[in-house]
Amino acid sequence: MPKIRKTKKKAPEGWELIEPTLEELEQKMREAETEPHEGKRKVEALWPIFKIHHQKSRYIFDLFYRRKAISRELYDYCLNENIADKNLIAKWKKQGYENLCCLRCIQTRDTNFGTTCICRVPKGKLEEGRIVECIHCGCRGCSG
Amino acid sequence: MATSKGTNNYNRQQWESAEFPIACQTCLGDNPYIRMTKEKYGKECKICLRPFTVFRWCPGAKMRFKKTEICQTCSHLKNVCQTCLLDLEYGLPIQIRDMALKIKDDIPRSDVNKEYYIQNMASKLQSNAVEDNIDDVSGSKGEDSDLLMKLARTTPYYKRNRPHICSFWVKGKCRRGEECPYRHEKPTDPDDPLSDQNIKDRYYGVNDPVAAKLMKRASAMPKLEPPEDKSITTLYIGNVPVFITDDDLRDHFYQYGEIRSIACIPRQQCAFIEFIKRADAEVAADKTFNTLILGGRRLNIKWGHTQGRRHTDDIASMHQDGETVVKQSKNLPLSLPPLPKDLQNDFFNLQSESIPTIPPTLSAPPILPGFSAPVPQYLNHRYNNFSDFQN
Repeated sequence: MPKIRKTKKKAPEGWELIEPTLEELEQKMREAETEPHEGKRKVEALWPIFKIHHQKSRYIFDLFYRRKAISRELYDYCLNENIADKNLIAKWKKQGYENLCCLRCIQTRDTNFGTTCICRVPKGKLEEGRIVECIHCGCRGCSG
Repeated sequence: MATSKGTNNYNRQQWESAEFPIACQTCLGDNPYIRMTKEKYGKECKICLRPFTVFRWCPGAKMRFKKTEICQTCSHLKNVCQTCLLDLEYGLPIQIRDMALKIKDDIPRSDVNKEYYIQNMASKLQSNAVEDNIDDVSGSKGEDSDLLMKLARTTPYYKRNRPHICSFWVKGKCRRGEECPYRHEKPTDPDDPLSDQNIKDRYYGVNDPVAAKLMKRASAMPKLEPPEDKSITTLYIGNVPVFITDDDLRDHFYQYGEIRSIACIPRQQCAFIEFIKRADAEVAADKTFNTLILGGRRLNIKWGHTQGRRHTDDIASMHQDGETVVKQSKNLPLSLPPLPKDLQNDFFNLQSESIPTIPPTLSAPPILPGFSAPVPQYLNHRYNNFSDFQN
């Protein structure tokens, strides 16, 4: 069934061009939500959710800010309908956070010692050539 | 907020709360900067099952996070680290330490008995600043604390802090690969007695396989056998620092018995000490073998040979003249080497007819400084003849 609209308004022009990709992403998200948890760690089961969420927001963000392929009206419409995460995009506009994986990884209140997630450490500073997958979203390094 | 861990205190035993863990150096790790979390009443003590403050920290890169396992009361009772349950002074299992220091500690083990005992001790510990058992443990530094010192490690053993073995990898199913924080190594042999250890057994000092292994090693340590020849009361002491004098040695060894003579040879970094009684010499050997450290160096104690054969170089050089060597029979004390022919019947030292201005005793050969053993006069004479007598 078609996705529930938050506002009564019709979609602005240009919507038909982006709609197929968004529909695909929604489909992926549904699959990720219904996947069985066998063989995965408890935290690992949630990683695809965060990844697809990031992808959706990234798509809209790129279209508007990078490629300038959609109008502000359409962009605002997507944000209002919660197709893209406006808080995450707000971070992407800041210097140093352009590739931020998810909002959980910069939340210092979630950690024991009030730090950010290990995926926020630039690879240059992380010695030993060690591979990290952060527990929140499975990110392998989203800065630098 | 009646559900918070701190609130329901009415009619409850006072749960333990602490400011800092009691931990040994190995458990804390090599990094002097540690971040530690403190959780009030985080877990129950593995021994007394009361809630206590849990501290958790990372003891170094690539180490697993360690946390306190037993409460401070239980750790005070046995003077052990809260995490590894090894003695704080020696780093040895409780069983070994108690055996060596002969500590008889009757902590009850069954439910109510144990709770009652621990509760009492906890309140005692809180009221006095002085802990009773600590006195017992550290006060009586018996002879066997020597044994403990020998068994104890000198440097921290960080292998204890390594992560556990990845059980998925053992089955071949580890999906994490490089990122896996657990060890990808062969697990230890399940038949090995060291693999089934139990925290309660380790704490009460009963049935501890690590302790058994250490005891075996202790008994296999090199021992100094007293020589068969019962008349030997001389100990050879090697690795003597140059500045140690006869008096230093005398000061130390007189406690074992009367000393007949001490000969110190700084150039050889050795010394010989002769006792009057054989029993005293044996006691001295037992007590000092591999134990005595003087002037910063561990002295190498061995049994000496009989009187006449103290310096084997000496003997060798004395026989170089091609004189007849008297064959030594096994159990008799070795005889002194024979005199040169012209001196053999010279009982009154008539050969050197001129009366020496300096009596022979005082012209003790400069080759042997400090050699204070009573040397018969004719031997003095002979030493002077030997240029190749080396020290």
